[in-house]
Amino acid sequence: MNLIKSEWRKLIYARAHWGLLIAATFISTLSVVVTPFIIDSQGELFGFGLDQTEAVDSTYANGISGYIFAIILGIMLMAGEFRHGTAVATFLTAPKRGSVLAAKLAIAAVGGVLIMWVSAGISFLAGYVTLMSFENVASPSENLFLNTMIASTIGGAVLGVIGVALGTLVRNQMLAITGALVYLFVIDPILLTVWPDTGKYLPTGLITAMLAIDVDAPELGFDTSNYLPPLEATGFLLLYGAVFAAVAVATSLRRDID
Amino acid sequence: MTTVIAFQNLVKRYGKQLAVADLTANVESGKITGFLGPNGAGKSTSLRCLVGLAKPTSGEATIFGKRYQEIENPLSKVGTVLDSRGFHGSLTGAQNLRVMAAAAGIGNDRVDEVLSLVELSDAAGKRVKGYSLGMKQRLSLAGAILGDPEVLILDEPANGLDPAGIAWLRNFLRTLSGSGRTILVSSHQLAEMQNTVDNVLIINKGQLIADGNMKEIIGDGTLEEAFLRMTLGELQ
Repeated sequence: MNLIKSEWRKLIYARAHWGLLIAATFISTLSVVVTPFIIDSQGELFGFGLDQTEAVDSTYANGISGYIFAIILGIMLMAGEFRHGTAVATFLTAPKRGSVLAAKLAIAAVGGVLIMWVSAGISFLAGYVTLMSFENVASPSENLFLNTMIASTIGGAVLGVIGVALGTLVRNQMLAITGALVYLFVIDPILLTVWPDTGKYLPTGLITAMLAIDVDAPELGFDTSNYLPPLEATGFLLLYGAVFAAVAVATSLRRDID
Repeated sequence: MTTVIAFQNLVKRYGKQLAVADLTANVESGKITGFLGPNGAGKSTSLRCLVGLAKPTSGEATIFGKRYQEIENPLSKVGTVLDSRGFHGSLTGAQNLRVMAAAAGIGNDRVDEVLSLVELSDAAGKRVKGYSLGMKQRLSLAGAILGDPEVLILDEPANGLDPAGIAWLRNFLRTLSGSGRTILVSSHQLAEMQNTVDNVLIINKGQLIADGNMKEIIGDGTLEEAFLRMTLGELQ
């Protein structure tokens, strides 16, 4: 419990972590607020309007757009130790590296979940207010909010864990964050569009699959009918977390601390 | 005298480069021992192996007969200063110490106490990136004594200190040693070390070249003369 308390203090003391929460909330809220206007003005392109459930579901689903900040948080919690030189104090205080990693993975998971809950919750509220300004708006699917919160919880936790693993493997914080951004914003979407049968097993496809939304917008390269069922997607995402956590522990145990 | 710190045939190799070559030496309890050597001699690497941050290629380094990783709650037994970079710049001095204290199960009262001991109480709420190098060194010392340890391992603690800071450090180490603590301190400041330490270990190119009481090592000369004679082969 001592190590958990120590890692928790690192999480809440650093202002940069609060900045990530604010940025995640801003991006999610912006995505949710802007989507109804795009759908309303470009309805023909999407093939549906705000009077249809899939349009409203698509709007609220953007509430998970802050997931990238969960992975950045994980990277900063680990790679930040090497950037600031605090890894020395950390491993002098607690030389059993496996225990330190376990505490860090746990706090990264909690931090990732908190980022997702706060950003998704506030963006839902903003989305609700925005949709009220339109006429003839359909109701969202019955389980949309429940599914989104489950996806936020598991997605936030797993991405936080993956972030710590990346920070352990690539100790250069900027390089690790840039790599994660390039992967999630460029490589992952391309794979999801070009090879949907493979892409659906990648993190973005799995998180979207957990939302259980039914959106078919082939013009935008987005067709959820190919995605895995929510439970299967959850299992795969947890598997990603377990594999990355194991890699983080194995890597940190072997290398010297500079 | 009891041996507290022991290097036993310690070897550390980085690729083809041999940083520490078969180092065997002991540090006695209740003494201040100076760990001297030119740049790149292997002092910091030896200390990093001692506290578990670097894995020895062969041999071992122990404290109280145990590897550092085997010591239960090491902060309460061993205090370490390896460099002044070990703190998060955007956290305050007190917050940095509270993070360490939490990991070792130490209360925040002790944080305030050690900040007072190193005369940083007034700067406790200031972010570390605004600290001078001397303040960072004192914060490092505060971290080292957080668990009230019996042993202190200090790597170049006088780096960046002005004359007043060095005098303060000398008194600080003497006070700690006076209460029975064992201190192993590496430094380049030979004149200062001559006034501070009881025993000396001199290392060059990863190998121990002198080990003994200060008076035995320097004879009628100074530590600097003895050091140069042993590391350069001739008096400069």
